[in-house]
Amino acid sequence: MKKFPIEPIYGYVKIGIIGEHGESIINECVARDIPIWEIERKDDYSMTANIFVRDIKQVKQLLKQKKCKIRFLKKRGSPFFLLRLWRRNGFLLGLAGFILIIFLLSNMVWNINVTGADPKTEFELRKAAAELGIKKGQFIFLLPNSRQIQQKLTDKMDNVTWIGVTQKGTTYQFQVAEKEIPEKAKRLKPRNLIAKKKAIIHDIFVKRGQPLVSPNDYVQKGQTLVSGFIGKEGEEKLVPAEGTVLGETWHVVHVTVPLETNFKTYTGDSKKRHYVSIFGLKVPVWGLSNGNFKHSKTEENKTPFRFIKWELPIAYVKKDIRETDGVKRIYTKNEAISVGKTMAKKELQKKLPDDAKIIGENILQVSVSNGKVNLSMHYQVIENIASEQPITSSKENE
Amino acid sequence: MVKWRQQVSKWMMQKLELPADIVMDLPRITMIGQLHIYIENHRGVKAFSKEELRLNLINGVLIVKGNDFVIKTILPEEILLEGKIDGVYYEELNNKDPAQKKTK
Repeated sequence: MKKFPIEPIYGYVKIGIIGEHGESIINECVARDIPIWEIERKDDYSMTANIFVRDIKQVKQLLKQKKCKIRFLKKRGSPFFLLRLWRRNGFLLGLAGFILIIFLLSNMVWNINVTGADPKTEFELRKAAAELGIKKGQFIFLLPNSRQIQQKLTDKMDNVTWIGVTQKGTTYQFQVAEKEIPEKAKRLKPRNLIAKKKAIIHDIFVKRGQPLVSPNDYVQKGQTLVSGFIGKEGEEKLVPAEGTVLGETWHVVHVTVPLETNFKTYTGDSKKRHYVSIFGLKVPVWGLSNGNFKHSKTEENKTPFRFIKWELPIAYVKKDIRETDGVKRIYTKNEAISVGKTMAKKELQKKLPDDAKIIGENILQVSVSNGKVNLSMHYQVIENIASEQPITSSKENE
Repeated sequence: MVKWRQQVSKWMMQKLELPADIVMDLPRITMIGQLHIYIENHRGVKAFSKEELRLNLINGVLIVKGNDFVIKTILPEEILLEGKIDGVYYEELNNKDPAQKKTK
């Protein structure tokens, strides 16, 4: 049973046929291969039927021969539909404009949240972020990615240890870990000062409490240095011991220095390429040359476009190609040792408190194996070895 | 001569088990409940109204009776009719009285 599946593609019209011999017109149409369908009789003198637009002329001639009249009742199919749509092009433009606006709004920064910061830090952070371009109404695909923002912000802010940057849709979320400067305890509890590590006492300065050791004494870890019990026997009082006990301590640091190192340095020459990625296919938009660098490092930055809450399979891709230079650095054994010494010193200083002083260094061991110099260094350090130990109530009763 | 040909085709149909509508050029009618009727091998529309469709056949007229008829599709040898079908009747050329075939 054949129907006409192309009906909606070509335009067709519903016509009214007024006159006698309607049946003969049907037969004539069929004989001439003119598709005709949905034939309905209205009354003895009229019928309705559907025919294609391209057949109208032929059907008109036919009707003239049979002395019938034709009325056009309805216009259907895609050509008429498109014509109607075109007549209402304001509507179409509005629809396109609406989608465009939603698309643009979906790719804008709408909200910046800062958590874990006090008002001052928050203000500074917002200012620093605004300098990077993160402010309301900015297009997300013009901004660097979260990782880079995080790095830049952490560099800019001094009083912050770490900033976590997450981008959720149109919202930027900053999580701040502030450097905590501990407040000094105003009311001190009774306590002793004990040794942090084994050392030889260098100097002792007591603000409060009873010193139990004197310079040049050798103390073990955990030994009481300044007692919180003061006063005559029988009239003993508990006080929070305060003071500084400088002791000479010993540290061993191991470092390894390779004799040969390959370095990569940037020459400063770079090329930028911009792409629009559609379903993973990268279409270059700007920047056609690769730079023809001998050695280069490529960094890719991808920002997907969004529509409301969905990520579109279309993304903006920025490629940074930077020329690099291969440099080989070779140390002699002595050079390696001196480099190792400074490295070891730096490493030690990182571990020590700021007020510690290094008073002596000795090389314990040097060995060369597999193109590396292994160095063990011994350091004498003067540092504060006092650490507080509260006196518990059970001790109080004793 | 015509009678002799008809007899030959009748014999072929019975002995060779060929479909009757092809051998003898008879209409093949398919009905889906009272909703649709699909007729092949017709020879044009004789009369069409809301209640009745008359189709020319090789030797006779096929009459479909019912309500709300619409010709959905019409092709040189096929026709699809929609509506509420009450009955299908045959009218042979030499016999004016409609001979009943199917009634609902």
